[in-house]
Amino acid sequence: MSYSGLSNPKPKFRLNEEIVISKRGSEGHCRTPAYIRGKAGRIERYCGNFKNPEQLAENIKDADIIPLYRCVFNQHDIWKNYEGPNTDTLEIEIYEHWIERR
Amino acid sequence: MSHDYLKMGPHDVGGENSQTLDTTDYGMSYWEKFSNGLRMAVSSTGIIKLDELRLTAERFGEAYFEMEYFQRNGLALVELCKKKSLFSEQEFQIELENQKRNFKVPIIDLPYSEEVIHFHNGTEHTHERGDFQEDETGEGPPDFYFDVLATAAILKNKNIISQNDIQSRIEKFDSVFPFRGISVVSKAWVDADFRELLLIDAKSAIKEIGIDLESFADIICFAQCDEIHHIVVCTLCSCYPRTLLGMPPSWYKSRSYRSRVVHEPRAVLEEFGTIIPESREVKVHDSNADMRYLILPQRPKGTIGWTEEALSQLISRDHLVGVGIPDNVI
Repeated sequence: MSYSGLSNPKPKFRLNEEIVISKRGSEGHCRTPAYIRGKAGRIERYCGNFKNPEQLAENIKDADIIPLYRCVFNQHDIWKNYEGPNTDTLEIEIYEHWIERR
Repeated sequence: MSHDYLKMGPHDVGGENSQTLDTTDYGMSYWEKFSNGLRMAVSSTGIIKLDELRLTAERFGEAYFEMEYFQRNGLALVELCKKKSLFSEQEFQIELENQKRNFKVPIIDLPYSEEVIHFHNGTEHTHERGDFQEDETGEGPPDFYFDVLATAAILKNKNIISQNDIQSRIEKFDSVFPFRGISVVSKAWVDADFRELLLIDAKSAIKEIGIDLESFADIICFAQCDEIHHIVVCTLCSCYPRTLLGMPPSWYKSRSYRSRVVHEPRAVLEEFGTIIPESREVKVHDSNADMRYLILPQRPKGTIGWTEEALSQLISRDHLVGVGIPDNVI
């Protein structure tokens, strides 16, 4: 299901696949917050394909079309000093070029 | 923070320590509503993309911290219009002066209250204390509003947008959008089929009951339950399902909410008076990209047989973001 209406490319990652978010810097506009870079989680769902916001921000014509996922993380895997129970989680949308296999 | 070197700019606040939340929603001034309406009107033409506006604001650098939300977003629009040569700097300066001139209204002396005779309960009388000082002492709009007004005037002259494009958005934000999410939730509380569709494909479900969200973004609906409590934030800016819930409240845009909810959601929830038992998972949704979220609260106990209309009275916007839970009816 994708309201973006962009059917290709096909998503590379599977539901529940264990992944890690790339731990690299970025220039310009980007939708991958610093706090989630380098963190390990898994794929919660595939959200459809969207134009790369990093290129949209620069007004680049024919921006790349990229699968977007929602990834789920255990809070204790993100924050060293997280104070809630082990079951607490965080979900965030990540474009495929920021996701690596574990 | 170990990841400080990866931070993209002043807007990338998730995980920072910050102050206690001010949970009051201060609403919006007319200037802010106008600025927001203009921004949406221009965005909808496709001339300017949302990500370009975001980048422009992020590049304000140090100045980013000195500007409040609508000023930053309004001025980002002005700057981007210039960068895209929608008008020249000279055109802009001329229009800016025109707009400022419109606000140069001479200050009129207040009347002596003793000299003003009027009626109360049919009896003619005068007031002894000066009670006429209302609007005359009010301050004019903030500086950035002139920039926004000048931009709007030029874009209207060039037929890129119309006054109605702005006005209709201001009106919908006041009187249409804030009530949509509430009607969706009250319907889901009484109609099991609708609830099921809402949780599988919220956008279609919402469309089916005649609400046009006028947005390409997808909506995902999560139901609060005894096992999981959902709460939504956008750590990078203030992504929010505006055509479904109206404008985000002041705290949703605040640095303290955006930085803290991701790493201490339970403490933030407590500041809203919402205590979640340790046995219930707290799931934070960072609405950072193309999805938008609606939280479906549990139907309050003690409402068997209630109509949608009666149920809707129990729902507030805070419940639909997950910072609050509607009270049971006892």
